[in-house]
Amino acid sequence: MDKFNQIVFDIFKLPVAEIKDSLTSKDIPDWDSMNYLLFIAELEKQFKVSFSMDEVLNADSLGAIKKMLQAKINL
Amino acid sequence: MIIQDNNLADIKVGDSASFSRLVTANDLIKFAELSGDYNPLHLDNHYASQTEFGGLIVHGFFLGALVSRLIGMQLPGKKSLILKESLEFKQPARIGDELLVTGEVVHKSEATRLIEVSIVISCQQKILTSGQIYVRLL
Repeated sequence: MDKFNQIVFDIFKLPVAEIKDSLTSKDIPDWDSMNYLLFIAELEKQFKVSFSMDEVLNADSLGAIKKMLQAKINL
Repeated sequence: MIIQDNNLADIKVGDSASFSRLVTANDLIKFAELSGDYNPLHLDNHYASQTEFGGLIVHGFFLGALVSRLIGMQLPGKKSLILKESLEFKQPARIGDELLVTGEVVHKSEATRLIEVSIVISCQQKILTSGQIYVRLL
C-alpha cells in the first residue's frame, strides 16, 4: 500500500515512517474535516473506486479506511 | 451576471466552462487597493521596465480571483465552496491581454461531494497559469 501511504503523506503531511493503522483524527494534527474529504476523494481518484457516504462517515482510523479500500480493490 | 446553479448530480467528469477577460490598467490599481499589494512590479512602470519582465505584470492572485469567478459563477456556480487551490504562474499576464479562463472537471466524488477542476488561464493559446481546484458542492 505504498500509494496509500503516499496519499496520507501528501494530504496529512505525516511522514511515512510514522504511519500506522491505529492512527485516528486525534493522532494526526492535519486530519481535519476538510483534509479528510480531500483524502477520501484522492483515494477514490488514485485507486479508481467509489465510497458511500456511510463508509466515509464510519471510518475512524487509517486502518479502517485501508480495510474499506482493500475490500473494494479486491472485489 | 448569470450564476449557474448546478447540483452534484448535474456534474460529470469532462464538463467544462470558460470565459474571457480583458486585463486593464485599472484592474491592477483596483486589485492593489483591494488586497493591499502595492508591489511596484504591478503598478510602477519605470520600476517594472527595469526588471526581467520589461514592464508591468498582473498580480498572480488577480488571476486567482478570476478562477474564483469561474467556480463561483459557472462551474459549479451557486452551490460551490472552494476548499483547496493550487496554481502555477508559468508566464506573466499583462495589461491588454485577453485572458481565457477555462476549467474542466477531472474527478467527482459522490461520497464527499467534492469535484476537482483542472484550471488553465491562457492568452492567444499560450498557457500563462495552470492548476487544480477542489470544490465542495453545498
